[in-house]
Amino acid sequence: MVNTALAQVSNAALVSAIMLYGFAMLAYACDFLYNRRQVPAAAPAEPARAKVATAALVGAGAGGADPDQAERNFGADPADASQLADLSQSSSGPAGPAGALPSRWPSGSWLRTAFVLTCLGLLIHATAIVTRGLAENRFPWGNMYEFISAITCAAVLFLTVAAIRFRAYYMGLFVLLPVVIALVVDVVVIYTPAGAVAPALNSYWIAIHVTGMIIAIGMYIFGAVVTVLYLLAARHERRVAAGQDSAVAGIMAQLPSAAKLDQLAYRAILFAFPAWTFAVIAGAIWADHAWGRYWGWDPKETWSFITWVVYAAFLHARATAGWRGRRAAYIQLFGFACLMFNLVGVNLWITGLHSYAGLT
Amino acid sequence: MTAADLGAAPAGTTGSPAPGARFGPVAWLRWGWRQLTSMRTALVLLFLLALASIPGSVLPQEGIDPAAVTQYYTSHPTLAPILARLSGFDVFGAPWFAAIYLLLFTSLAGCVLPRAFRLARSSRQPPPKAPRNLRRLPQATSFRAAGSAEETLAGATAMLRQRRFRLRTGDGWVSAEKGYLHEVGNLLFHIALLCLLASVALGGLFGYKANKLLVAGNGFADTPPALDVFHPGRLVTASDLAPFSITMTHFSASYITSGTQRGEPASFNAYVKYSSQYDGPTRAYNLRVNHPLNVDGVQVFLIGHGYAPIFKVTDGTGHVVFDQPVPFIPVEQSGLTSDGVIKVPDANPQQLGFSGEFLPTAYETVTGSVSSAFPATDLPRVILVSYQGNLGMNSGTPQSIYSLDTSQMRRIDITPKLLAPGQTMVLPHGLGKVTFVGIRQWASLAITYDPGQFPALASAIAALAGLIMSFLVRRRRIFVRVAAADDGAAVLELGGLTRSDAAGGFETEFAELAVEFKRELGGSAELGGPAERTEPEQSRTPSEPARPEPAQPGLARPEPAQPDEPEALSADGIALAQSAQSKGE
Ligand code: HEM
Repeated sequence: MVNTALAQVSNAALVSAIMLYGFAMLAYACDFLYNRRQVPAAAPAEPARAKVATAALVGAGAGGADPDQAERNFGADPADASQLADLSQSSSGPAGPAGALPSRWPSGSWLRTAFVLTCLGLLIHATAIVTRGLAENRFPWGNMYEFISAITCAAVLFLTVAAIRFRAYYMGLFVLLPVVIALVVDVVVIYTPAGAVAPALNSYWIAIHVTGMIIAIGMYIFGAVVTVLYLLAARHERRVAAGQDSAVAGIMAQLPSAAKLDQLAYRAILFAFPAWTFAVIAGAIWADHAWGRYWGWDPKETWSFITWVVYAAFLHARATAGWRGRRAAYIQLFGFACLMFNLVGVNLWITGLHSYAGLT
Repeated sequence: MTAADLGAAPAGTTGSPAPGARFGPVAWLRWGWRQLTSMRTALVLLFLLALASIPGSVLPQEGIDPAAVTQYYTSHPTLAPILARLSGFDVFGAPWFAAIYLLLFTSLAGCVLPRAFRLARSSRQPPPKAPRNLRRLPQATSFRAAGSAEETLAGATAMLRQRRFRLRTGDGWVSAEKGYLHEVGNLLFHIALLCLLASVALGGLFGYKANKLLVAGNGFADTPPALDVFHPGRLVTASDLAPFSITMTHFSASYITSGTQRGEPASFNAYVKYSSQYDGPTRAYNLRVNHPLNVDGVQVFLIGHGYAPIFKVTDGTGHVVFDQPVPFIPVEQSGLTSDGVIKVPDANPQQLGFSGEFLPTAYETVTGSVSSAFPATDLPRVILVSYQGNLGMNSGTPQSIYSLDTSQMRRIDITPKLLAPGQTMVLPHGLGKVTFVGIRQWASLAITYDPGQFPALASAIAALAGLIMSFLVRRRRIFVRVAAADDGAAVLELGGLTRSDAAGGFETEFAELAVEFKRELGGSAELGGPAERTEPEQSRTPSEPARPEPAQPGLARPEPAQPDEPEALSADGIALAQSAQSKGE
């Protein structure tokens, strides 16, 4: 039943994808190190368009030293931002011809290389998943090995989308780092040979439910990484404002302001939360088909619920005076911890109907 | 003053009743109610709900795995009773768990219903007047118009109308508002959650769950005595059960025969005949995993399977006192080795009992023990340990059919050996003989009836729809003022304000709108951009950007003055207009 040749293609593709991601990380790091952008002083009375272009041109340059400056560079400031701020927030937006919008595409040879490697890696990663599915003649997310491959693929997909859409190329290194670690563990420790799934998992609802989960988790990963950066940036900005030195000034110079990172993280959750809600509902429908109850407080279900509630608390915190910012960020990371526990901890330590990790 | 500054005003909902004033019980009640329905309380309760669920996943739960609870009692004899007193083995039915979610949902209702009324009211009111000085809005721009003031204003109004804004016009100005669906979506989401809880309650009151182990060839009717386990809802009586009956004619299982997954199940099929009335016509159904049988709203699921070896016992007096299949329970999955007991209370001169192990594909390991290599019956063998004495079945305490109480029995001294189908083991001392006749399979069925199922699904879908709606739509206002410049040309000022835009995006929308306005209505002069505006930096303290909370000044999201009252937008807008006026003059 299993096409072993194709399964081997899949294994090889996954290893190649990991290597490409690794090289991409190197290139992102080189971009941070060698691609410092020049910062012309922004003249206060410049016409708007020129200013926007400048903002894009300055990129991340001197932001680290002067938070106000960083704010301006990334257009988080109403003075600069009102018009095209959304288009000028990149850390690496190139200066287009004067008056034109900054390009969506990465600038600088290191960044371009990094991004091309990321996209290539993503393609090969997707190939690994598709060939695995073809080899097994089913949706390739029936065990932990396949699941981790799929969620990391989703995370990288969202990284590329966010990079292009929000000019968040600076996220490359930080998202690929956990992705590569997870994939290495996946290939070395968790690897499960291609095979069929248990009859309970053989339903089209599994495809819907698990696909939803994969999309949501991929985005949650992205959001969590942005949030960690946000916390670092906020701390950095506080220290700079208080006149202390900041250990992360070098990196911060390459990143947008905390406010922009916070906004990006929030965007990620605005996408991930409905996807998660959908996946939980689809899971309930599947549970109803398979076991005759839509909700049974099985450990996996319980932790999905906990995750959902914590992320709902995060959304509330964002709208509650005194809870925005850092506290909300911690709630979000706590939600992410619950998510990870559900993925790893519940599979390993708690048995239930869902324990299909294939690790026993 | 920026919109953000306005929003920083203290909410006033969390402070205690005004100091100094005398407070009667009514005032305290009102204060308590405001506390309960505040956003902060909702946040805390959500957290508590998440925390309270954790023990439910860590401790074994009565409703999920009663055997694990029993096991827990043996391994933690002192802790278990304490946990039981705290409902630790029934967390999701615990009073403290119920207290949390009931408080949360009370808070929800108290928060959401007034908001729904307010939304309904405000949706019938026109948008507020345009502020005098649009430049003070978070988004603003201006340009010289091509036409006269009247033409420009009419053109702007038409453009906004075409974009389906709700409009209010006045002397030289237009206010436009859009995006009520944000609030509608948010309310729909929260109200759907209330409906979801109601649906779950409906299932808990009027639904039931039951289990039945059914050996191929046998049948049963849906009545409490015929069911192995029966969990009725609080308001369910025996007469509420749907009067159907099911017979399983045949059960087949197939397994993967090669590769690394050898022995794992490939498919299960239970071929059943059922009738929805006691003596009604019967219909056939192939019951599979993920393919439940639905009889008049009651669902029947295949949730497990195993073997039931058939035994025939002849006692010492020569009578056949036992001849039936005995369900054995699998103790491992890769070879489906199963354990079971045979109780023969009618045997003479003494009652007989056997505890057995069934091996679907028996083989002898190198150490000499026997084991099962494959779950299918390729080489079926059974091995029995025999007892004589008193089975203890009349002691009054109910006994499990799957365990043998050997406290009043003596082991019969005969070496257990593997029996193949058809083989007989003769007991010593004229106690009789036992024959392993053959094998049948059994299926374990879950029978559920949940009238809340459909409403729960509908509520969940409504909640999801509301969520997506509220995330996609932002509520925003656009203001236009047209005035004559010194040289007589018309100048169009455009201002914008949003409230539900934490994720950003309004700036872009506003910028695009400004570009279109300019294209349609603008004169030859340059598009005035932000640089023409008063620099809001002047109103910002230098420390602001370094605030721990995202200041989000560019996001143009006025921080809600009262987070509990999203309707504050209108208040914001008007307040903003007035303050802008007072400052501008
Ligand atoms: C069962 C408990 C609750 C859950 C799971 C929940 C969940 C959520 C979620 C996911 C959102 C973001 C989605 C949206 O904006 O439409 C939200 C927003 C909101 N919730 Fe709740 N909620 C609950 C209870 C409450 C309660 C008790 C209140 C009243 C105090 C409340 C008031 C609000 C408000 C005002 C917003 C809008 C926040 C904003 O403007 O961004 N919720 N809630």
